[in-house]
Amino acid sequence: MSDLLIGFQDVLHPATLIWVAVGVTLGYVLGALPGLGKATGVAVCIPLTFYLGPVAALGMLIGIAKGSAAGSAVSAILLNTPGEPSSAPTALDGYPLARQGKAQKALKMGLFASVIGDFVSTLVLICLAAPLARYALLIGPVEICTILLFSLTFIGGLSGNSMTKGLIAGAMGVFFATIGLESETFVSRMTFGLLELEDGIALVPMAIGMLAVAEMAVQAGNVKVLDSEGARITDGASRNDRVVLASEWRRCLPVIARGTLIGSVVGILPGLGASVGSFLSYGATRKASKTPEKYGTGMIEGVAAAESADNAVVPSSLIPLFALGIPGSVIAAILIAAFILHGLTPGPLMFQQQPRLVADVYAAMLCASVILLIVGYTGQRLFAQVIKAPLRLIIPGVLLLCTVGAYMETSSVFSIYVMLFFTVIGFFARKLDFSFVTFLIGFVIGPNLELSFRQSLQLLDHNAMNLSKHPIAVVFILLTVAIVWWIGRGKGPAAGERHASAGQTPEKHVPTNS
Amino acid sequence: MRRANVISGVILVIFGLVMLAVVIPMQINPGPDGMMSPRLVPGMMMGVVIALSLLLVINNIRAKATADDSVAPISRGEIRALVTIGVIFGAAILLYLLVSPLAAGAVIVIGALLALGERRPLVLIAMPTGLLTAIWFLFYKVLGTGIV
Repeated sequence: MSDLLIGFQDVLHPATLIWVAVGVTLGYVLGALPGLGKATGVAVCIPLTFYLGPVAALGMLIGIAKGSAAGSAVSAILLNTPGEPSSAPTALDGYPLARQGKAQKALKMGLFASVIGDFVSTLVLICLAAPLARYALLIGPVEICTILLFSLTFIGGLSGNSMTKGLIAGAMGVFFATIGLESETFVSRMTFGLLELEDGIALVPMAIGMLAVAEMAVQAGNVKVLDSEGARITDGASRNDRVVLASEWRRCLPVIARGTLIGSVVGILPGLGASVGSFLSYGATRKASKTPEKYGTGMIEGVAAAESADNAVVPSSLIPLFALGIPGSVIAAILIAAFILHGLTPGPLMFQQQPRLVADVYAAMLCASVILLIVGYTGQRLFAQVIKAPLRLIIPGVLLLCTVGAYMETSSVFSIYVMLFFTVIGFFARKLDFSFVTFLIGFVIGPNLELSFRQSLQLLDHNAMNLSKHPIAVVFILLTVAIVWWIGRGKGPAAGERHASAGQTPEKHVPTNS
Repeated sequence: MRRANVISGVILVIFGLVMLAVVIPMQINPGPDGMMSPRLVPGMMMGVVIALSLLLVINNIRAKATADDSVAPISRGEIRALVTIGVIFGAAILLYLLVSPLAAGAVIVIGALLALGERRPLVLIAMPTGLLTAIWFLFYKVLGTGIV
């Protein structure tokens, strides 16, 4: 606690605080732009911090990560184009709310849920990181493999009407993740002689193509209909349409609490990431609701559920990084470089070797949460102006930004080819109701899944009976089977496909399918 | 959607079979002795895709017909938009390789504006100019990072 107070002393210096604020603002803007998410934002800004002190530099980068996690909700709500995959569930109810004239209400709830989730999760990080270092060692490759498999199955089952299609998408995602050099044998896999594919397919151009450009293609195909609908997206005349009412707070607070808990737990588990957290939270909230059929039509609880979990993942994903030195997410992996650059080597020893810098980072994270609330709240009216622009003016700008975002990943035109390839896949995936989110999650966790699977086979000596020595893994295998049975019973292949045309899937609640 | 599910299921089965029978054996070497084959996980994933796609096809063939079955999930307008975006990006890549990144960026914005029906000269000039200037300012001046 005394270390944390010293940390606040360091961070509450105007010169430091202003860089945290710059980071949050920059992150919020980058997050709001489709395709330019927190990973891209932090990666781009690392060179900027070369000339800053360690506290200001780390505070700024953490600010970018936090700001962009919250900012991605803006485009999800106003444009139905998530700034990042993890904000996809926010769009499911946020965009319908915007179309009902309640954009400001949705944006405000998204911001409040983001800040609460983020702040509480930061407290979880502060409380758990050091003590967890001992217990986290119990999670080995066998457990990680089963946890990842469980997550993929769960997401595949929840993200569409058809579990079969969800699982196909997940398997395809893992398959595409195997392209490039294999990590153990260094054998090239399916590179077709292209050097650019040796490192595998870059996530950013792929995600931009599948999510943003594919969505733009679909929206361009319906531009007249959408513009006429867009013209109807106006702020409601009633004050009640612009503010979060006390009754909505009462309904949303338990949802935010659940979302924060889910996001924090998902963040702690390495490899899952914000998309898993936000979808789990959204799915759990929908399942727990007395009116699940209303989700996707403009339920403010949907926005609260997705955003609280999405933002709670960011701080808690640093727990495995701080406790074990293992990045729990893409953003944590990128932050490792920045931490090392500024003299803080993530891992159990940092608590003994650099207690003050750790406290500074914690203090900067808490301050960034408060600054996020101020920046988000004051800048919201500015961002809400986007809804007044017709689509024919928005689409070209988004396409240009997507191109820049994809290109920056490798500074090569090959990234644009990748983006366009996955635009086509994303287009058909969303039109044919194959979950592109499950595909992306499969792609992201694919390398971890494969590595832990290989290590598991070696550890278990190719004998399934040896699993009995790994009770956590057994629990997750049983959970996976239970999830398949549970989801499959209600919305499995038969039911899902039988009713595919009868009900809209979450991903189909976009204007593109109207 | 039933018909689309059957067609997409069949395409995925063919894709999986081609990958399993041709691409994976040709594009992935067996790997060193004593180590797990690098073909294992890609092969497993394609096995899963084939099995689930067959399930998708069978379930949809057996499912009862509904009124929505006659509605195509993809409209002509959407296909046209996808092709148009492809053409715009094709032109932009050509300009990037032959002229300059700036021309490529301009053609993406102007091409998309024209394709979406925008004809006002002021907008056609101001939008690419404004966007490209804003990007230049953000990356080169604010972030201090060159992107090209």
